[in-house]
Amino acid sequence: MMPDLDQHGHAETKEWTPDVKAPVVMLDRVSKQYGRINALNGVSLGISGGVTGILGMNGAGKSTLFKLLMGKLRASSGAVRLFGTDPWRNSAPYSRVGFVPEHEKLHDWMTAFDFVVTFARLYGLTRDEAKVEATRVLDFVDLKDVMHKKIGQYSKGMRQRVKIAHALVNDPDLIILDEPLQGCDPLARTTIMNVIKELGRMGRTVLVSSHILHEIERITEQIVILHRGRVVALGNSHAIREMLDQHPHKILLECNKPKDVAKSIMDIDEVTGLHFVSDGKLLIETRHLGVVHQQLPDIIVQNGHQVTGIDNPDDDLQSILRYLTGGF
Amino acid sequence: MSESPETPFEPVESKENDTFSTETPVTGKSKMTAAWSSDEGESEGVAAVASLPQGQVFEQNYQPWNGTLNPRWMRNWAILRHHVLGIFRKGHRPWGIPTRLFIFFVILASCTDIALALLASLVGSTELYDMFGVNRNNLYGHVLGFWPRNILYFPVVAALLVGGMISEDRAHGTSALYFSRPISRFDYASMKFLSIAIILFLIIDGTLALYYFSEVLVMGRGWSWIIDTFPMFLGAFLCGILLSFTYTSIGLALSSISRGRFFPAIGLIAILMGTKTMAAIINGLFDKSTLYVISPYDSVAHVCQAIMGIDSSYGELSWTWSLASVIIINGIALYLLATRVSTLEVTRE
Repeated sequence: MMPDLDQHGHAETKEWTPDVKAPVVMLDRVSKQYGRINALNGVSLGISGGVTGILGMNGAGKSTLFKLLMGKLRASSGAVRLFGTDPWRNSAPYSRVGFVPEHEKLHDWMTAFDFVVTFARLYGLTRDEAKVEATRVLDFVDLKDVMHKKIGQYSKGMRQRVKIAHALVNDPDLIILDEPLQGCDPLARTTIMNVIKELGRMGRTVLVSSHILHEIERITEQIVILHRGRVVALGNSHAIREMLDQHPHKILLECNKPKDVAKSIMDIDEVTGLHFVSDGKLLIETRHLGVVHQQLPDIIVQNGHQVTGIDNPDDDLQSILRYLTGGF
Repeated sequence: MSESPETPFEPVESKENDTFSTETPVTGKSKMTAAWSSDEGESEGVAAVASLPQGQVFEQNYQPWNGTLNPRWMRNWAILRHHVLGIFRKGHRPWGIPTRLFIFFVILASCTDIALALLASLVGSTELYDMFGVNRNNLYGHVLGFWPRNILYFPVVAALLVGGMISEDRAHGTSALYFSRPISRFDYASMKFLSIAIILFLIIDGTLALYYFSEVLVMGRGWSWIIDTFPMFLGAFLCGILLSFTYTSIGLALSSISRGRFFPAIGLIAILMGTKTMAAIINGLFDKSTLYVISPYDSVAHVCQAIMGIDSSYGELSWTWSLASVIIINGIALYLLATRVSTLEVTRE
């Protein structure tokens, strides 16, 4: 078999124009198998504009999805399109894409400025254009002051921002960020989240993956939940949570007198169960989490209870996945 | 979502001035009305549990990009200069200090015949000049002499260069970054190939040209001498290209199947030296020179002996067999390289 070096398409990208009728990202019944393992199974999505969170536990298929979008893998079946073009066959759409990979891909021996300039030139920018653009994006991610220092001297958060800067240097329409917050300290997380939200507000299509629901919810309300290679839910995150109201939610209270607190809470109609988990801990079950959370503070204050902590132990991705998949 | 099939795409705002910077005002509106809009809570929240296996494809409006992409050669030139200039300058691909020093040493060592030819002209020794001056055998020897050039110099330089060329990109994830740009697989493979071949070519054919033209200048050769010897120089020049090409193709093929620099480097030297040694042993034991066709160096050398018109050192073996061998060896190496790049195995970390 002849190697597919010319990508069966127009390697000459000068003439490429995106399909105006097509979504920025489109997957139509896409499956990807690694041997006997189904990494993605019949996934269909169309995304254009705004920030979309791709959520899933490890092994859900997030990275496979991004590799398919970035043309690093070929779909076993189905169609993958960026701007209406198959990225496996034609690398031209990447002129409008910025990709922030999950793993470290930085050149520690280079300065952030040199690194961004080098990869800017691979978009076809001239040397002068690349320098101007590199300065602009490094300023955008708040690294302008230190951009002439070697990347090897940067903290984890700064390195993540260099990765984001190098992906933005071509002013892309589509930005794909694979686990951009992994390993960052709280300050770096906040900075990166603000950058992502800003990109979404500016009308870019941003795909950001994570396995932590709270992180994504701080960035966007639009989420796609993947589980074992399938899309199990998509849409507004609050709406997804609403759908879960048919399932009991749990609220864990830490207090000095759980029995007294339980007596007060029993007055709330929406509470369906109370459990004394251990000394000083009370577990409340309800199907209407919002209503209970609304009434709980007043009841605590009115009855003078000393509550040291309120937690929603099942308000995480794993719990949502458990609900959505029926425990499978 | 569109309201009717006739008007699936609503007019959208212009993208002019829609670049981001710290001064950019936040517009708050997406130019693309998304499958799920980018509005923050203004729209009614909707969600769906994906009950159908194929999910849902949304319609939306967006402003297509109508910018211009600079020519393909500009992107390819960026890859090429990143690799080649790294030999001389910082801020490009970092070649190790040992690699740079060894290249410097090989360039100096390759110029020894120039120095000795000049010495011969200075002292007026015809014996010394016959040994080192420009002639058919010495031009061939400058490129394809086995000791020391093709045992110590060129294969080792090639091994140092190809060692990490693709394999380290793969290990560091750099190749994945290349392919996140509008770089085709052919462009990637060909620019990597050209980078190595050009460095080898500059060392081998650069010093050859220096050797030839220094004689023209220093010895005051006239047009008649140049007309006599220039075809020989061109023949040797072609041999240098053939040698650079062959070492590069084998080395890069090895680099494309590895994750480190050690295996491709040692593998290249092992193939070049191992096949030659085996062919030499068979020739010594059984007086059969046929096995030289498995040796890339000997095949190129045999073809180049025919090109240069000097006596063959490969006995009864016809040079056309060696030519076929050179084509087959390069073909296999390039096929392996092309396959690894076309399947994007070179991006798997």
